[in-house]
Amino acid sequence: MPVIGIPVEELRSRLGREIDNDALLTLLGNIGCDVDGYAQLRRAQCARCGFVMELAGKEEVPPRCDRCSTELRDVAGAARELSPIDVIRMELLAVRPDLFDPAGLARGLRGLLSVETGLARYEVGPPQLRLRVDPSVRRESSLRPAIACAVLENVTLDDDRIKIVMKLQENLHWAIGRDRKHASIGVYDLDSLGSLDPVEGFHLEYTTEPPDFRFVPLGATAPAPAGLQSGHEILETHPKGMAYAHLLAGFDRYPILRTTAERRVLSMPPIINSEETKVHLGSRRFFIDVTGSGPRIVQRTLSILVTSLLEMDRAITARAVELVDEGGARQTPDLTPQRAVIDAERAGRLIGIPLDVPTLESLLLRMRHGVEKHDGTTVTVLVPAYRNDILHERDLMEDVAIAHGYDNIPRTLVPTLTVGREHPRELASEAAREVLLGLGAHEILNLVLTAPESSDELLGLPAHPATVLLDNPITSEQTQLRTGLLPGLLQTFARNRHHPLPQRIFEVGDVTYLDATAETGAREVRHLGLGVIAPHAGFAEARALAEAVVREWGMSLALRACEQPFLLSGRSAWILAPDGRRIGVFGEVHPETLTRLGLQNPAIVLELVVPVRGELESYRALPLDR
Amino acid sequence: MSIELTPEQARLLAELANGGEARIPDLAARLSLDQAQVAAAATLLAQAGLVTLREEPYSEWSITDVGRGFVEAGPPEWRVLHLLAERGSATLGDLPALTGLDVKDVGQSIRPVTALGWVEKSGTDLQVTPAGRAAISAVYPPLAALERLADGERLTGTALQAEGIDPGAIIAIYGPKSRYFDIREKVHRYAALTEAGRSLAQSGVQARREVTQLTPELLASGEWREVRFKPYDISLATEPRHPGKRHPLQLVIDRVRRAFLEMGFEEASSSWVESSFWDFDALFQPQDHPAREMQDTFYVSRPERTPLPADAELVARVRAAHEDGGGTGSAGWQYRWDPRKAEKNILRTHTTATTIRALAAEPTGARKVFCLGKVFRREAIDYKHLPIFIQVDGIILDERASFSSLLGTLGAFYERMGFSKYYFRPGFFPYTEPSVEVYIWHEEKQDWFEMGGAGIFRPEVTEPLGCTSPVLAWGLGIDRLAMLLYDLKDIRDLYLADTEWLKGVPRCR
Repeated sequence: MPVIGIPVEELRSRLGREIDNDALLTLLGNIGCDVDGYAQLRRAQCARCGFVMELAGKEEVPPRCDRCSTELRDVAGAARELSPIDVIRMELLAVRPDLFDPAGLARGLRGLLSVETGLARYEVGPPQLRLRVDPSVRRESSLRPAIACAVLENVTLDDDRIKIVMKLQENLHWAIGRDRKHASIGVYDLDSLGSLDPVEGFHLEYTTEPPDFRFVPLGATAPAPAGLQSGHEILETHPKGMAYAHLLAGFDRYPILRTTAERRVLSMPPIINSEETKVHLGSRRFFIDVTGSGPRIVQRTLSILVTSLLEMDRAITARAVELVDEGGARQTPDLTPQRAVIDAERAGRLIGIPLDVPTLESLLLRMRHGVEKHDGTTVTVLVPAYRNDILHERDLMEDVAIAHGYDNIPRTLVPTLTVGREHPRELASEAAREVLLGLGAHEILNLVLTAPESSDELLGLPAHPATVLLDNPITSEQTQLRTGLLPGLLQTFARNRHHPLPQRIFEVGDVTYLDATAETGAREVRHLGLGVIAPHAGFAEARALAEAVVREWGMSLALRACEQPFLLSGRSAWILAPDGRRIGVFGEVHPETLTRLGLQNPAIVLELVVPVRGELESYRALPLDR
Repeated sequence: MSIELTPEQARLLAELANGGEARIPDLAARLSLDQAQVAAAATLLAQAGLVTLREEPYSEWSITDVGRGFVEAGPPEWRVLHLLAERGSATLGDLPALTGLDVKDVGQSIRPVTALGWVEKSGTDLQVTPAGRAAISAVYPPLAALERLADGERLTGTALQAEGIDPGAIIAIYGPKSRYFDIREKVHRYAALTEAGRSLAQSGVQARREVTQLTPELLASGEWREVRFKPYDISLATEPRHPGKRHPLQLVIDRVRRAFLEMGFEEASSSWVESSFWDFDALFQPQDHPAREMQDTFYVSRPERTPLPADAELVARVRAAHEDGGGTGSAGWQYRWDPRKAEKNILRTHTTATTIRALAAEPTGARKVFCLGKVFRREAIDYKHLPIFIQVDGIILDERASFSSLLGTLGAFYERMGFSKYYFRPGFFPYTEPSVEVYIWHEEKQDWFEMGGAGIFRPEVTEPLGCTSPVLAWGLGIDRLAMLLYDLKDIRDLYLADTEWLKGVPRCR
């Protein structure tokens, strides 16, 4: 989860009430933020585009500007130091993107503080721009079908605000957009789009172009024609292009947003904007687009961005854009609240607090929901357009619980009496553990992920045919689930070879085998393993230990000679069930194996299945004798 | 006064009464005991005031290897004297050639020949004196001593003196550290009876046999009544012993299991190889959720897939919940659900896969179920992360269950684990709503620690399973709890065992 720094003064100034430092942290915790605490961040500004970067601790200026990709670190004067800033550091609360920026967060906190409650209403003016959505954005080989747009007017900017807009955009990309895959945002200076004379009634178009289509991307060091780059080149060489090229992998045409009159490119979503339409300190009007995989996600993302910006500066006004595709015309952003109904009695019962309609209503208002109407039992709620997370009445119940305060919910227990019952496998393992502890062994735990080198190959055996294999191991040391406990015991000896002898260790744990009759195709079997390394460890002790364990299971020891490459021939044996099946093995470890592990003393090992409710599985960790 | 003597002490007392004062080695020889035994007995008797100990210093002389080389011709000064007596005079520089001595030995000779007045030195010229000539016919003590000790015998200074060789004269010539002689300063220890000792010896001493070990023979014969058991020095260290012990993590697991069993939970289990359907889809985790990506979850290539549950209606309801909420009253995630993705096998990422299976198997009535077991996340190994850890999940299915009873149950559990101070913060998980994160206060570390997540299963999770009552659910990482309880800095210490650490961790803490 990314950690963000919310500027303290910016936040405080928006709360409408004085609040001390500790109380502010508590308040943030109560709404669900995972707060680290207060911190001071250094700031550096890109001299070229004015973008402000925050640096925690000893963090260096990034190699390139996060916004315009200008090289910063090794170029004198490319970045200038600004005064440090006090922030509250906290994890990004991914489910509440409306709380990502100081203005949006303050909007939520004012509600909890009862400074300002109920629905925040935002006006959207009638559209002046029409945008044509070309059907090619829905082709399988150039699929980025959804778009939503807005215009913001009366914008005034300074470096801090540009920073806030950029940060918000970046965090929305991460939290909702799945790193631009599902939604990516473009913000442009509307007054740099050149002529907006309509062509066939459209001012703008969202379409596709082949990979050799050229424009000047953000961060280009020269204007056209020198700065022109094809979409293909951008994906190969531009820092942002390389970072996001995978999102256009397999596309034969790339998405393009441009004006109709001059065909001036705004952006190649979801990769990069054009240099000439970028936002600067003097920008007074924004054009905003969100493109992505589906209409719901792009509209929701746009709503969150637009309402947070309107919240940032109340002087800003929003204006709709009309989008036309073969399905017809619609206007975005749609900031109409969504209706939902919540039942007071049901909510109270679920939370476990008495809840009447007036109380419910006031709690909802403090979470910045609107209340349209209520009757004796239910409330019809107007959910703000910026709330991305309300799928169900249950989500509103959570808001109610949060507004009520988790600390104020009584701690009770379910009144129904139930009887505890342990799993038979655990019960059996407890018995096994007791026996092994009684024999003076120390319990160890080994990792159940392993690899051929540290399992079958270590024992000089061919790959076990019933091994579960990972599709995407993270290292070559862990590619499969273990099929036996002996390799782990031997490796524990090897790891501890410098410690005093004798060492007696045991493990009670699961091994996994493929099993076509099991639902998922594999299942675990509980085994016990016991090992002794000592100058005088030998067959007689191994046999005595095997007999001791088996005796505790009410059985007598039945053996058959065993031939395994890692055990000394004539000094190892299979342990047999009364019906003759193999249920375990023991013996002296072969000097070859000891030497390979760097062990300089004799060792004996024992492995057995653990009987569960008296049932004995067959022992399958080792192949039959050759 | 009753004094109990060991046989050695009694014999020593008797010997001293007969023979009077004697040296310890002589006593040992007469009693056929080790000198150390006699010395120990004498010391104890001295402490009891029965014996006095007296020490008498003496020197012990023997020849060195260097000395051996000069037995035949005498020490260098003796040879220089003879040469000068023959020739009358010589220069210092000529001496090595004339005497056959090396330069160093010649150097060694100058001090004695002048100190003894044998030679007069003017510049480099040496001339024999009358005293020197007289000395030639007298006994020269160093030479006499060399000859006497040449066979390696050790003699005391007193003995040499008795044979007419004056040790004082030798020391006067060479000083106390001669290269020809090994002279050691030693003491003789003498033991003698005190008055008390003498009267005790006269009154007759009864000694008890001392034994170090009670034996079956002593018990059988009754002789144990007659013997004395040698006391031990109780401060002496003994060989360390270690009982066979449970692994510390297992102790924490035991404690957690006991807590749930005592609270009336039944224990569930399922395979580590799990289908995406039960690990994710049944829990309303959208199929593009980051947790499902190859980057975070271990996918299994063998066995690769699990057929979707045979109950086609169940699958259809889960699918509908994802796509548009189905009959749950939810909007769903608004995407097309892919059954092939749900079939993909993974290593379970949480034990919630197990509890949700238990719930699906029996979705009605009042139930409490828990599962404690291994879960897998695709993490590289470092001090904080392992790809495997242990989690406990619990669910409560009950018509009367509420968020209030969830908080109460979690509180009861953590109190049971020894943490009396905890707080609840709103949390957010895809399959629970409302959700909560639990923090416990660690008194020694003076800090809050996040312990796990909990909530009430969303209707999109429970309703497709045919479950209409609220289901409380939580998941807790056990490794983290164990690290806190055992104050571990490195999670690898839990699995890649150091057996000495395991031996050393106190069982009770």
